[in-house]
Amino acid sequence: MQEETNIPFVFKAISLISLAILLVPVGVVVLAGLNAGDYLTFPPQGLSLRWIKAFLTSSMFLSAYGVSFVVALVSTLISTTIGTMAAIYLTRSRGPFVSFLRGFFMLPIVLPGVVLGLALYVFYVTSDLGLARTMTGLLIGHVIVTCPFVIATVTAALVGFDRSLEEAARSLGASPFTAFRLVTLKVISSAISAGAIFAFIVSFGQFEVTLFLSAPDLQTLPSAMYVSMRYKFEPTAAAAGIFAIALVVLSMVVTSRLVNLKRIFER
Amino acid sequence: MSDIHLKKLTKSYGGHLAVAGINLHIAEGEFFSLLGPSGCGKSTTLRMIAGFVQPTSGEIIIGADDVTSLPPEKRDIGIVFQNYAIFPHMNVADNIAFGLKLRKRPRDEIRRRVTDALRQVGLSGYEERYQRELSGGEQQRVALARVLVTEPRILLLDEPLSALDKSLREEMKYWIKDLQKKLGITTVYVTHDQDEALTMSDRIGVMQKAQVVQVGTPQEIYEAPKTLFVTTFIGHSNVMDVIVGSGSGSDMTVLIDGNPVPTRGPENLVPGQPVKLVVRPENVVIGPDQETPVRLPATVLSETYQGSLIRYRLSLGGQEIIAERQNQSGNERFNPGTPVTVGWDPGRSEALVA
Ligand SMILES: Nc1ncnc2c1ncn2[C@@H]1O[C@H](COP(=O)(O)OP(=O)(O)OP(=O)(O)O)[C@@H](O)[C@H]1O
Ligand SMILES: [Mg+2]
Repeated sequence: MQEETNIPFVFKAISLISLAILLVPVGVVVLAGLNAGDYLTFPPQGLSLRWIKAFLTSSMFLSAYGVSFVVALVSTLISTTIGTMAAIYLTRSRGPFVSFLRGFFMLPIVLPGVVLGLALYVFYVTSDLGLARTMTGLLIGHVIVTCPFVIATVTAALVGFDRSLEEAARSLGASPFTAFRLVTLKVISSAISAGAIFAFIVSFGQFEVTLFLSAPDLQTLPSAMYVSMRYKFEPTAAAAGIFAIALVVLSMVVTSRLVNLKRIFER
Repeated sequence: MSDIHLKKLTKSYGGHLAVAGINLHIAEGEFFSLLGPSGCGKSTTLRMIAGFVQPTSGEIIIGADDVTSLPPEKRDIGIVFQNYAIFPHMNVADNIAFGLKLRKRPRDEIRRRVTDALRQVGLSGYEERYQRELSGGEQQRVALARVLVTEPRILLLDEPLSALDKSLREEMKYWIKDLQKKLGITTVYVTHDQDEALTMSDRIGVMQKAQVVQVGTPQEIYEAPKTLFVTTFIGHSNVMDVIVGSGSGSDMTVLIDGNPVPTRGPENLVPGQPVKLVVRPENVVIGPDQETPVRLPATVLSETYQGSLIRYRLSLGGQEIIAERQNQSGNERFNPGTPVTVGWDPGRSEALVA
């Protein structure tokens, strides 16, 4: 890695400015949530914890927050598992359909969320699987959306993975599965964690697909915020935003404790 | 420790033969090199012995066991890769302990054997280091220690020195050879570097286009090459276009500029047949005071000073040959344009059919 002192001043300035611009919305949401006035305005009319309290006592927001958290957690677990396995298949198989499959797996990223949501909705209500407006149906939608993020990060790590490490393990006496578990999985573990963080964040903030799959008793935080903004222009939504930001930051911090985040971004 | 039999070993990739029916016997405790140019099938052969490549046909026998269809982990073979393949997520001690842990050895035995192995490769005190904290030479030693600690029957090395700089390569060459001698482990060493093969091996198998074209001791390979390819691949050779004068085998002559020149050669030659005459530059002697049976008139074209050697380009019967002469005090020097007499020992020349 380059010494920090070698980075030209212009680059430092540009990245500092970009960072500031990227952080503006966060600041706006936080300040709007701490507004003392009756309506969502910016700049806020004085600061208070009024809307934070409103959020913490709103059963709609709290349950939406819980639903979002559970959906994000479960879909992350599922898509991390499936995505890792898919990435292994995509990088190791020499079949003729692999490049086609690779594009196919990435489709949910390029496809507009509304299209995917609509497709799933139509499928759920017309088929007799009983998935419409259920947690399972919602989870399936989120797994489809988050899986490509895991596949992309894990594939990148596997492409750079040196197969001779696995072979060395084999000739030292490891079965194919043991070699995979003790060597390959360990070496790509930081990429898997990075994929999982992506999946969690994407799922937690997912809106378009969710819009079609949620029901009044099964609302995620983004759709609850949207509904609240449509009918009452209250700062509660912004207060909820503060808690959403807090959760994402917290999940990053926790993961960085568990795995070495620095290594993820060094790749 | 065991010997290795390769029987008609063949690997074809979609019709392209990477290894075409190799028969080899590698004796117990032998240091055997597979030497050949890039793409001739050395690595494929080695990887078939290791079990990473499934042969298309043929057999691999190690000791008394037919291992042809055994997976790598059941073959009891140690392999060192070109890039050493040190596990990056483990420190040196854990790398070396890897095979022993899989074999479920008791903890204190593992610790003792790791310490011993590190001492053996001269890396005591490196237990806690990670791959990124090791130089290429150190990684190589760790890779060797990791393999040797499991006491495999056979050691396979695929171009282990090619990633090192020249001086380290020289040092490691002798170090690996000494270690192999001390352990007496049957070793197959893949290289495209003739120097490595000549200095380290008990025997060399020269490969060309998916086949082993000659097997022999370094001396046999260097001094009695059986094909033109072997001569030119190993060391430098003068190759002259000549025709058969008389005879064949060990009692034959070829004609250079109309002069009959005795040499060794293959059987079943007919007079007048075009062949190549091969002589190493260090065997070509110059000067009127020489007493070699072959004596021919030549002209000096140029002289190149190379420190311990002086290299002459000569014109002999219209063809260019190179002669190397020790730069000793008292040795006469020849200027370009000088007519000289050149010669060589017929036992040091070889007629080969192109
Ligand atoms: N997995 C593979 N699929 C298709 N062809 C292969 C494969 N592995 C090797 N080959 C081919 O087999 C031939 C022999 O390859 P091999 O790696 O054994 O050569 P090598 O002698 O080790 O060469 P080098 O000195 O460059 O390492 C080459 O023509 C190569 O292209
Ligand atoms: Mg090779």
